[in-house]
Amino acid sequence: MYPHERSLVEEMKDKPFALIGVNSDSSVEKAKAAIAKNSLNWRSFQNKGNGGEISKDWSIKGWPTVVVLDANMKIQYRGHNGEEATKIAEALVAKMTAGDK
Amino acid sequence: MRIALVLAGSLLLGSVAAQDPVAPKPEAQAKASAADCAAAVKQMQQKAYSDWRADLKKAREGTATDDGKPVKAMRMSADYGPVAEKAAVFAAQFAGTDDAVQFLMLVVQYSSGKDAQKAGIEQMLKSHIDSPELAKMGRMLGSLDRRISPEFAASTKQRMLESKNADVRGWALLATHQATIETADRDGAEYGTAKTALLAAAEAVEDARLAKDMRSAIDLREKYGVGCEAPDIAGVDLDGVDFKLSDYKGKVIFLDFWGDW
Repeated sequence: MYPHERSLVEEMKDKPFALIGVNSDSSVEKAKAAIAKNSLNWRSFQNKGNGGEISKDWSIKGWPTVVVLDANMKIQYRGHNGEEATKIAEALVAKMTAGDK
Repeated sequence: MRIALVLAGSLLLGSVAAQDPVAPKPEAQAKASAADCAAAVKQMQQKAYSDWRADLKKAREGTATDDGKPVKAMRMSADYGPVAEKAAVFAAQFAGTDDAVQFLMLVVQYSSGKDAQKAGIEQMLKSHIDSPELAKMGRMLGSLDRRISPEFAASTKQRMLESKNADVRGWALLATHQATIETADRDGAEYGTAKTALLAAAEAVEDARLAKDMRSAIDLREKYGVGCEAPDIAGVDLDGVDFKLSDYKGKVIFLDFWGDW
């Protein structure tokens, strides 16, 4: 999925869009190695940090899981289908930027 | 077919034994306990698995057989046929008691044929429907559609809903309502009915994990389902810098739970 996410971030860089990760690797070093190796270009929370576990709070049952939020942080998609999630995110962004042109 | 015959035979023997008030004979007392038998099946299962792993390893290493021919094709899974057969024998041995359920479960789990799986389930529903042991079937319900058929899954759930045991009914309720909770219109009557039924069942069941599964199915939908306002996340990034999800409010956020593994 890395190439897909990378190009999504690239395509959307001037648009009201943010790809935010929640990384569940066993260590920060492991995550950073993956980022370096695959030229990943998004910011991630550490899943375990500040005493909690984000994935547990969000009842994440399988990886990867994608959640798409609109500009008001309302959930518009939650699931495991990256393509579907991308379509929904792109449609939301298109709607927001329609007035700009 | 062979397993079905063994099961049919056991049923017959079971009912004959039940009518016979004579005390158990000494050789019956000397028989292994259900726990010993369960351990024996478990051992067979582990051996089947490790044999298969060893085969895979040989095949991966490209070892040729002694006569120079390539190793036989790799199997996709271990050969659990003998495990299923042994479990069927024990199921027959303990027929008429709830100890049989654990062996019938193994028959269903390890038989490759649908007929044997079906026969095992039928047997459990027929002889153990009110037993707390039948709750062990709970986690299997979700995959019955695929394993056997949607019709068979539906009728199995229906029969479990009529059990006198709250946990057995609870598993069937959860399996029945899961899809509604996940996808139905939250303001609709169907969703309301499913939710009420699950919350009531969560109070009634003994198995705390089952109760938690019921409540969390609802929670998941109502806190993190489509249409919900996402709770904020406050955490640290991989460089240790504090940030919040709400820092990005006003943008479309693609929140990606990922890991490199």
